[in-house]
Amino acid sequence: MNTKKRDRLEVIHDILKIISERHNSIKPTPLLRYSNLSSSSFNEYYAELQSKEFVKEIFDKDGRKYITLTDKGFKFIEKYKMIKGFIEEFEL
Amino acid sequence: MAPPIPDATFHGPNILMFSDPTIVIIELVLTLLAVAFCFLIYFKTKEVYELTKYEGIKYFRYAFLFFGISYILSFISSIAIFSRIIFGLVLPRDIFGPLFILPLGYLSTMAILYLIYSSIWKNFESRRTLIISHIVAIVLTIVTFMTRSHLILLYLQSILFILAIILRPYARKDKKKISQTRILYFLVLGVWLVNLLVLGRGRPIYPLIDISLLIASILAYIFIYYKISKWVK
Repeated sequence: MNTKKRDRLEVIHDILKIISERHNSIKPTPLLRYSNLSSSSFNEYYAELQSKEFVKEIFDKDGRKYITLTDKGFKFIEKYKMIKGFIEEFEL
Repeated sequence: MAPPIPDATFHGPNILMFSDPTIVIIELVLTLLAVAFCFLIYFKTKEVYELTKYEGIKYFRYAFLFFGISYILSFISSIAIFSRIIFGLVLPRDIFGPLFILPLGYLSTMAILYLIYSSIWKNFESRRTLIISHIVAIVLTIVTFMTRSHLILLYLQSILFILAIILRPYARKDKKKISQTRILYFLVLGVWLVNLLVLGRGRPIYPLIDISLLIASILAYIFIYYKISKWVK
């Protein structure tokens, strides 16, 4: 089993990918579970995703919170391979 | 009254030999090309940085931004030197010197440090390392200013360059092999140092050598820009 530690960009990508694969709408608790992060780490990353406007929160008619991707979040997923390639090419 | 002919005897060969206006213009055009490519690299990577806020990309961009500005200052200094050689036009050193040596010293030193730091930042605590980098750049600039000599700046930046070569294998333990990118970076740094040597001497080393080195640096920038363009559309 590959237990290589993920870097920050990889974790962000994984979280965003989880959301997009679940019809772009997921509750916070399942997202935490699927992200394979500790609660405190998840909260840090989630705060970062919100500050970068990659995700936003929506509420259904019963007041239940769902997390969804913004256009910027979709753009990050789309460009992720390119970004990783650039970082590796220039050893950044 | 005709402008005074510069006294070349102390320095060796007649420096007017190296003052062919065509050579001067070629050198100036090549310097401007180096400036253009530095800024192209900076702006080409803007979107990917804004999307990721990845620190390595930030330092990489700052390196080329600062190199671009340093080349502009170097270009203006070269114009002043050649104006002195060709037209005998002497600009007041007390004003002109500090006006350029201070920002040139600081910006070019930070460009070198940012380029080095862009690939080893993960191994160091950012805030403290950046503060130390700024202090080093300021100290180098002050020493250069006090001595009024580009050559002192060249020697000090050469020491940084040599330290970077020696310390890199220890800072990046994951990669011992020297990559193509690493060679490009050393070429960019090396050519900058030669550019400083020309400035410090106040005259070209030898026109063909100067031009060849400028062409080498532009080719390095073009190649870096090409590699970026492969990934960043």
